[in-house]
Amino acid sequence: MVLASISLRAQTPGTLNLQTSVMADSPSFRRHPLAASVDLVRWLSSSAASPSERLLAAAIYDPSSGPAASSIHLLPLSDPTSPYASLPLPSRATALRCSPAALAAATSSGSLHLLPPSLDSDAAVAVPGGAGFHVGPVRGLDFGGEEWVTAGEDGRVHAVGGGGDGRLVARRVWDGKGMVGYEAARWASPAEFATGGAGCGVQWWDRRKGDAVVAQCNGIWGRGIVTGMVHSIDINPSRKHICVVGGSSGTIFAWDLRWPQQPIPLSGVGFNGTTEPVCESEVWEVLFDTYTQSSDIISSASSKILPVMMCSEDGILAVVEQDERPLELLAEACAINSFDIDPQNPSDVVCALEWESIGVLTRGRDTMAEE
Amino acid sequence: MPGMPTDGGGAIVPFRREPGQGTPSPPPMRPIRHGVAPPIFRVYISWSSGNLLQVACLRPPNSEVCGGAEEVAGSVVEVNLGCGSSGGAEVEEEIDEAEMRRIEYGSVPAFALLQSRKNALADAAAMSRMSSVPDYAEWWQYVLEYSKTIGNLLGNPDSPAFMIEDPKTILKVREKPTSLRAAWELLEIFYVDKQLQSWLPERLVDWLADFDCLLSAKESTVYSKLSNFQKKLINLQIVEDDPDYWNGLSAALSVGWLDIVVNMLRFHGSYQLDQMDNRETENGLVEAVAVLVSTMPRLRPNLPTGKLGQCCKTRPDFVKAWEKWRGQVTKLECSAFWIQCGHKKTCDGLKNLLHIMMGNIKELTASTSHWLELFASHFLYIRPFTVGFEGMHHLAQKCIQLKPSSGTNGLTGLVIGVLSENPEVVLAECTQNFGPWLVTHAMELLTADNDYADTMLHEERPNLGGISIEELHRIVYAQVLCSHSLTWQIAPTYLSSCLNQGLGLLEILLLKQPIQDNRLVLKTLEICRLYELENVSANIMKIAGIYHWKHGRKGAGVYWFQQAHDKVRLDRIAQQLFERIGKSVTDDSFKQWEGLLELLGPDIGSAGGLEFLHRYRDFKRSLQQALDGRSGEAARQTVDFLIQLMRNPSTPQRFWLPLLHDSVGLLNCKPSPLMNVAETTLLLNKLQELSLAKLRPDFSNNHLPSHALSSVRLALASNLARAILEDP
Repeated sequence: MVLASISLRAQTPGTLNLQTSVMADSPSFRRHPLAASVDLVRWLSSSAASPSERLLAAAIYDPSSGPAASSIHLLPLSDPTSPYASLPLPSRATALRCSPAALAAATSSGSLHLLPPSLDSDAAVAVPGGAGFHVGPVRGLDFGGEEWVTAGEDGRVHAVGGGGDGRLVARRVWDGKGMVGYEAARWASPAEFATGGAGCGVQWWDRRKGDAVVAQCNGIWGRGIVTGMVHSIDINPSRKHICVVGGSSGTIFAWDLRWPQQPIPLSGVGFNGTTEPVCESEVWEVLFDTYTQSSDIISSASSKILPVMMCSEDGILAVVEQDERPLELLAEACAINSFDIDPQNPSDVVCALEWESIGVLTRGRDTMAEE
Repeated sequence: MPGMPTDGGGAIVPFRREPGQGTPSPPPMRPIRHGVAPPIFRVYISWSSGNLLQVACLRPPNSEVCGGAEEVAGSVVEVNLGCGSSGGAEVEEEIDEAEMRRIEYGSVPAFALLQSRKNALADAAAMSRMSSVPDYAEWWQYVLEYSKTIGNLLGNPDSPAFMIEDPKTILKVREKPTSLRAAWELLEIFYVDKQLQSWLPERLVDWLADFDCLLSAKESTVYSKLSNFQKKLINLQIVEDDPDYWNGLSAALSVGWLDIVVNMLRFHGSYQLDQMDNRETENGLVEAVAVLVSTMPRLRPNLPTGKLGQCCKTRPDFVKAWEKWRGQVTKLECSAFWIQCGHKKTCDGLKNLLHIMMGNIKELTASTSHWLELFASHFLYIRPFTVGFEGMHHLAQKCIQLKPSSGTNGLTGLVIGVLSENPEVVLAECTQNFGPWLVTHAMELLTADNDYADTMLHEERPNLGGISIEELHRIVYAQVLCSHSLTWQIAPTYLSSCLNQGLGLLEILLLKQPIQDNRLVLKTLEICRLYELENVSANIMKIAGIYHWKHGRKGAGVYWFQQAHDKVRLDRIAQQLFERIGKSVTDDSFKQWEGLLELLGPDIGSAGGLEFLHRYRDFKRSLQQALDGRSGEAARQTVDFLIQLMRNPSTPQRFWLPLLHDSVGLLNCKPSPLMNVAETTLLLNKLQELSLAKLRPDFSNNHLPSHALSSVRLALASNLARAILEDP
């Protein structure tokens, strides 16, 4: 919701141009109305089910369809308005992750659903929510090569893997008993993962050390607050000791395990001396952007953080880099709730817009030259 | 409102199903599955967001005895009211809900931009009255930009269809226009677009060409005539023998669809190669008429591609061209070739077309169906210079008399309202036929350059509770948006443009949003931030905090309290911790409240006794290490913590004894004394103070064994003795 800020900022005549540029879409950006709320969106890795067509997975919420309100839709890129297949969910999806082994979705009622690469919804397996698994929304979900990790707002962390006979087996790694609530989870290696949540910063877990938290960081938050909410974590496979974290108040910071007490601010409100904040509202997701070349190629082997893409509640999709001006890719009039970079073709980005649509952005070399 | 259950049939509220004739329709019933076992004690009903009703069913509080632990004591169910049976506005039948929501979303940025421009201009005008006048004169251009943006959302009738068209296609295949778009364009033509005001008649003709199909569903129109003929065309061998062919031609010509007329004339049999020789004259006549049709002068600046006629920008040019063209038409009409033409139907049909071009009122009336079509044909062939609403209105009245239509359609009502220069009627027609979305957005068009409408819409009326008509409609529209869980987020844009009651309603809307989901709470808070509603956002955070705390998510609860700077509740939590620590300092409970302490964070001093709790935590941890490892270093540190705690004035007196009692083990097990004389004396003094306080009535018992005091005293005394001995 940037509209109010338009009407507030518009007292100064210069900002009006911003709006007109928002309204005219560039040819590299296409918008597809879906007629239902799109909470999350991901690229599907090319599968045997559809060798010719690139597919998207979107978490759909349509309150008008009663009991079938929530589902995962698989959408062909050529025509995203007509779903290729769909998987019904018991409640609104809170996390969606794609791996070569399966497409996984977690819900606000604490269940986990896995769809095999055949994309046959009859073959989907699930762990039901409840006292034995998660109670309440599961926001953290990631695949580590062998197992899925789930982290919920109820403070529980589970490792979910196959039981050998096609069933899913969930093993409780930790029960925070509501003292903490997790909002994000990400594997760094098959033995290590990171979680983040509300008021508790980021934790680094090592399975080799008895499934325990081995490092902890409260993060650095703008606007003079001591604590914020972590919404998303990403870890670059080539530099497994660095997490990038997005959360409240436009905060994006990197956490390097080698210097765990000194998180590196990338963007945020009220950080003195750092770059201007790319947005002031919630940063919903962050991902390392492999497409954008680091501006500092010579020293890229050094400690400099690689470029990070983010989306926010105030409708910004941008690439931020340490000590650089952010590169704004989209400035929408509504929130961008989720986005994903195509792993096979990193110039393509898909995003879920608050106003019941998805957008597909194709980046060419010229967009890089503009900045 | 709580209701008491009655005995009859398990119904909570007595409800009589009377078969009497007096009641016209039974009230709608909705079964609710609440899953609560029968003895229901109370039912609470309250509105949730939008048209959701929350119904809470509770069992009597003392009935657990018979029920057992697994019985549900009560449940809350949400009932969605008003599915499907929405208001009878014409728009809603035509456009499905999702499409309407797309339009609603799309119109928000345009509306917000226009409002901000309006505010900016008003501010500029307030600052310097003189210089801002020229700016304001161009206001209608901003409104026009707004109108075009919204018009594009409603569908583009000129959208190119990527297909090869059959030459026999009369009406171009395109997406069906909506009456919402028709109404919008009509308002734009009459109220906003000043540049094209002098070409108003031609714009009406264009408008009719786009939206003729919407005029009537049952009665015949030019469009329906042509589409019926199109269906027939495939099976026709000789088109010129069919009366519908000529009827269609004259109908299309009378409303000025010149391209269609010329295209249809080319279907004429005389164009076929095998007949060219026999029907040369006939073909010549057809072609001559086609040429005349395609060169008809039009008083307009330009023509879209594919449309025919010659444009004349100024009146003198037009008059000159018109005279010349009329001369040619008359000359052809009087020509001698008609006698040589052997096909009677062709002769009659072509002559009819010529009469239409000469403005023969009888032919025009015969060939048009709807009064609006007749109205348009007047502009084309009889009175091309019609200007001013008064003249148009007269003409419209005349056409209605000639072609009375059975029912008034929203669009025709709108046209009459506009022509009679009556904004009240226009507004009423919009409200009745096109729903709150159109009314809210079209009011900007009405007031673009119309002082009367401006005053009428902006005047504050006591009978509306002191708000203006404009504000009333915006509030109504905002309510519609609020009633859907996906569109409520755009309602604030409209509420914030309502000066009198908007902000109050916005606060209510924000406070009513569900707080169960953290993400939704954050979205609500973002709106609070944009509109600078700090109080509301603090309240929402507190509500969310209490919700999570109650549901056992203590971490989330504390997080929200901290965000809300809710000192009162954080203090309460700290007090609860105090109580628990006061009761037991066993290791089990230690783990539990340690987690809570972690949550309360390093923000020492933010909540009263938290400073103490943090120090106490450090002490406990250190004590644990000292007892486990028995290393001298840890023991020494523990004693340091103990001394610090006892010296600190923020340490409540009731914790003195537990603290000392905890350290008894440590004091006793060491061969060498851990404290020097001064430290031990301090602790002994505190102990003495405590013994005296014990006599006071407000002393709180610590649930410690009765010998606690004496054991501490003994330990301290022995420590003192050893310390004195060691002291050099």
